[in-house]
Amino acid sequence: MDFQEKLLASHIAFEEEIDLTDPIHQVRIDSLKTFEVKGFPTRKDEAWKYTSLNTLIRKDYELFPKAEKSIDLQKVKKYFLYEIDTYKVVFIDGVYSPFLSNTTHDGLDVCLMSAALTKAKYKDLINTYFNKIANQEDSLTSLNTSYTREGAYVYIPKGTVAEKPIEIIHFSTGEEKSLWLQPRNLIVVDQNAQVQIIERHQSLKEHDVVTNSVTEIYAHQDALLDYYKIQNDLTSAALIDNTYISQDRNSNVKVHTFSLGGKLIRNNLNFHHKGEHCDSTLKGITILEDKQHVDHFTLVDHSQPNCESHQDYKGVYAGESKGIFNGKIFVDRLAQKTNAFQQNNNILLDDKATVNTKPQLEIFADDVKCSHGCTVGQLDNDTLFYLRSRGIPEKEAKALMTYAFANNVLESVEIPILKKRINLLIAKKLGVNLGLGL
Amino acid sequence: MAYTEEELKKELETKEYEYGFYTDIDSETFPIGLSEEIVERISAKKNEPEWMTQWRLEAFRAWKKMDEPDWANVHYKKPDFQAISYYSAPLKKDKYESIDEVDPELLATFEKLGISLDEQKKLAGVAVDIVVDSVSVATTFKKTLGEKGIIFCSISEAIQDHPELVKKYIGSVVPVKDNFYAALNSAVFSDGSFCYIPKGVRCPMELSTYFRINQAGTGQFERTLVIADESSYVSYLEGCTAPSRDENQLHAAVVELVALDHSEIKYSTVQNWYPGGKDGVGGVYNFVTKRGICHTHSKISWTQVETGSAVTWKYPSCILKGDYSIGEFYSIALTNNYQQADTGTKMVHLGKNTKSTIISKGISAGKSQNSYRGLVQVHPRATNARNFSQCDSLLMGNDCGAHTFPYIEVRNNSAQIEHEATTSKIGEDQVFYCNQRGIDPEKAIALIVNGFSKEVLNKLPMEFAVEAQKLLEISLEGSVG
Amino acid sequence: MITIENLHAQVEGKKILNGIDLDVKSGEVHAIMGPNGSGKSTLSSVIAGHHDYEVTEGTMLLEGEDLSEMSAEERAHKGIFLSFQYPVEIPGVSVTNFIKTAINANRKAHGLENMPANEMLKKIREKSALLEIDSRFLSRSLNEGFSGGEKKRNEIFQMAMLEPKLSILDETDSGLDIDALKIVANGVNKLRSKDNAIIVITHYQRLLEYIVPDFVHVLFDGKIVKSGTKDLALELEAKGYDWIKELV
Repeated sequence: MDFQEKLLASHIAFEEEIDLTDPIHQVRIDSLKTFEVKGFPTRKDEAWKYTSLNTLIRKDYELFPKAEKSIDLQKVKKYFLYEIDTYKVVFIDGVYSPFLSNTTHDGLDVCLMSAALTKAKYKDLINTYFNKIANQEDSLTSLNTSYTREGAYVYIPKGTVAEKPIEIIHFSTGEEKSLWLQPRNLIVVDQNAQVQIIERHQSLKEHDVVTNSVTEIYAHQDALLDYYKIQNDLTSAALIDNTYISQDRNSNVKVHTFSLGGKLIRNNLNFHHKGEHCDSTLKGITILEDKQHVDHFTLVDHSQPNCESHQDYKGVYAGESKGIFNGKIFVDRLAQKTNAFQQNNNILLDDKATVNTKPQLEIFADDVKCSHGCTVGQLDNDTLFYLRSRGIPEKEAKALMTYAFANNVLESVEIPILKKRINLLIAKKLGVNLGLGL
Repeated sequence: MAYTEEELKKELETKEYEYGFYTDIDSETFPIGLSEEIVERISAKKNEPEWMTQWRLEAFRAWKKMDEPDWANVHYKKPDFQAISYYSAPLKKDKYESIDEVDPELLATFEKLGISLDEQKKLAGVAVDIVVDSVSVATTFKKTLGEKGIIFCSISEAIQDHPELVKKYIGSVVPVKDNFYAALNSAVFSDGSFCYIPKGVRCPMELSTYFRINQAGTGQFERTLVIADESSYVSYLEGCTAPSRDENQLHAAVVELVALDHSEIKYSTVQNWYPGGKDGVGGVYNFVTKRGICHTHSKISWTQVETGSAVTWKYPSCILKGDYSIGEFYSIALTNNYQQADTGTKMVHLGKNTKSTIISKGISAGKSQNSYRGLVQVHPRATNARNFSQCDSLLMGNDCGAHTFPYIEVRNNSAQIEHEATTSKIGEDQVFYCNQRGIDPEKAIALIVNGFSKEVLNKLPMEFAVEAQKLLEISLEGSVG
Repeated sequence: MITIENLHAQVEGKKILNGIDLDVKSGEVHAIMGPNGSGKSTLSSVIAGHHDYEVTEGTMLLEGEDLSEMSAEERAHKGIFLSFQYPVEIPGVSVTNFIKTAINANRKAHGLENMPANEMLKKIREKSALLEIDSRFLSRSLNEGFSGGEKKRNEIFQMAMLEPKLSILDETDSGLDIDALKIVANGVNKLRSKDNAIIVITHYQRLLEYIVPDFVHVLFDGKIVKSGTKDLALELEAKGYDWIKELV
């Protein structure tokens, strides 16, 4: 039995573990049907032209990890923003860890998807938001939906500013030989509310783990959301991240994706505008080596007038790594006065590194300003010479320049300690000694 | 008072396709439908050698197993390939010895098209091969060219007179099984142009082919093969028109360019097939495969002005096989009313120090859809490859679409690739500024569009540039914005 | 030259001109001054025939001919020239190509053949010298990447080329340093003759030191509230526009 069949066959067992009277029971069943019809995407699908899931799905994975495990906090402390106080929703092998978490219901909800799905008081919210902005035609999203059980649930009520950032962290311990995880997050930022969220997936030891995650985000009128994805996993881990964002009038959503490690990462990042004057920012830094593979697939769906989007993705590829950027800007004929900008710059450090980039514009309105630019190249020789003429050895000079190339994406990071941590991480990756100043 | 947008739209809509006449020439047309027998009949009609017949049959068998591609950003009713006649030729003598023998009706046609063979004959300017309904009817300047060893004739003649060259190169750049339309063309092509420039020869004049679909219910499947031998140079021009008809006519051509070491081929096209009426009825389906191969230090430069056809599907490409070879693509694609164009290029960098440039200008008006689709591919061996791409779109009115689909695939770390794309519209303030200087709105739009397209127009040979500018003007039925 | 009577105009339903009376004769230079939002630029756009502006009342006669039914280009053919406050960029169209197109469009309207190339060239050389324009400038795309001074100089260059009867200079001094201002003013002064007329629209008195007007009008709230000689400009500069508000 191949893995796809296993997923289909195991669903009954999965459903039995949970309450069949659950209102989303039918949603799960329908989604499974969609997945059954579509199957895993293949390279014949235009959207998956450069990324094959074959090597992943040829293997077998555990779908139901054993309940509750514990990890020593000291061992994993470094994966948290321990320097500052944060809300935390932590999962170990897909199961909620109350010990490591710090949730709240005090003025805002930072808690569990399983609670939101089952408790009566959340029923209306689930009916309003669950599986609404997610693409119901997408096979991997449908697969996730069909196995929806756990994840983070965040609700920031009208006019509320979350005082602490929220960390959503998924650990995988390696106690299972191989593991297929499908977290499902729902984040609702109500009118004029603000929140910062950091999401991370981390294996604690080398083992085959694939995470097929779906996050639905609703930013209501005047809301402000700042979302950071830290992807710096072991080379045995794969991640398929499907994020869907719905923006109402005047909202501002920023998503930063730091792809610094992992075997295979696919980010499907989708923005949909539901009101005028939305502002969307999509930024990414990708630094890869060995045989790592990262595929950024972004969509900004400008369906409303007077909205803006800004995309800036930088990639540095060493070894035999492979980077893909597929960015699509869609401007509906109603979306006059759209400003949409997209930039993708790449540096190939080694002979066998590959980059495939496909920035797309689909424009149906005439009074718009849209542009995209992308480059693939090396470090500028004149700058390199300048640095060397100041006595900096070539290797260091190159590292410094690469660091500078990637680093400017960090300017828009709003959490100082996070900025510092990512900065250090990038410097370390590139072999740059930042000295004591940073 | 000044023009309102509506008035302007109306006035511009009254522009008609001026090449939409039909000439009553006696023609021989095959019955509709396609089978091995028809392929053999075409081959027999042209008195082709056995290898050519077999080559066609191989293509036909491959074609039967293929599906019509559907990945392009165009929507149309798929042609019924059994409802087309695959051979139509003006009835004529085997060969024209002089221009005086050409059917006067046909000559009149050329006059209307603005090509006077008489003039052409007198002025040492351009050598012309004319293909009506897939059959070459006249080639001028053969003698002058012959003195330099240049072969410029119809491909049918080349198959008879220069079989070794044809056999060596036909299908070498676009294999018979390359794609659905290329396979179809390989099976049924009835004529086209052939050109060979010998070693070290710089062709002293522009070579030109003029294509016209005349008969109803026919498809045009011409095949062009240009070979530039070592250190030679040729500039080649291609123009196309068709009568206005309510049915869709199919045009599936194949153009193969071979640029041997140190040679240069400049290939310019002004495509003005009938675009269909302003209600979207009729028009030519233009499904064309154009590709060139560049050997060491050679250069192929494609320049195209695409204003015609109901549906265009066309990607003139360069295989940069030789070290230091250069590929260029300059394109203006203008769509109006219900026209759809999905066009662009492929630059495949295989050799070291290869260079490519892509400049694409898309202009969408009316209810049309205009897509740029391009591939820049740098293979692992292609050290120091360079590419620069610039794709600009101009939207006129709010019922059309402009789309950009660039694919960039880089597998060598010494490559330097730059791609830029922008989208803009014609500003009302620009039009008013021109009006204030005494320039009427229609002329103002033409001026602005010509300015937008300038980088590409500059690449065309002089006589073509003028025609292209006029064409852009005629084809515009837009709005001030 | 131009006679404007009781001119009312609005844009997007908003009334901007509320009864302008102005009579400009051949050989005269009139300055129109006024605070921001008084309707100065609207007046120039209305005379030039911009379709966003709707004339609701009043008449405009150019040498006795009613302008109201004429399109912008017809007015240009009749000899109206507007030097734009914000000249528009047209990428890919060179200054030379643009002026050639404009001149020939005007000639065609008067039943004349295109201007022969050598004559055109001679004229371009002569007029560009007048405005100290470098020949390289002529091959650049119209107004694209031009500095503020270059744009304004280019406007006056076009005026010199087209030889209009009535020129309206809309805030030609804005964005000009003193050297550029002198060049532009000098160019305009050389184009002054008994057969043409000029309306100078400006916020400040500065330009009027170089282009000396015969009459000065103060525009406020869409009406000319005070007229006088060039001394009025000085008085206005000294007392400020608040003085005008008190007058109303």
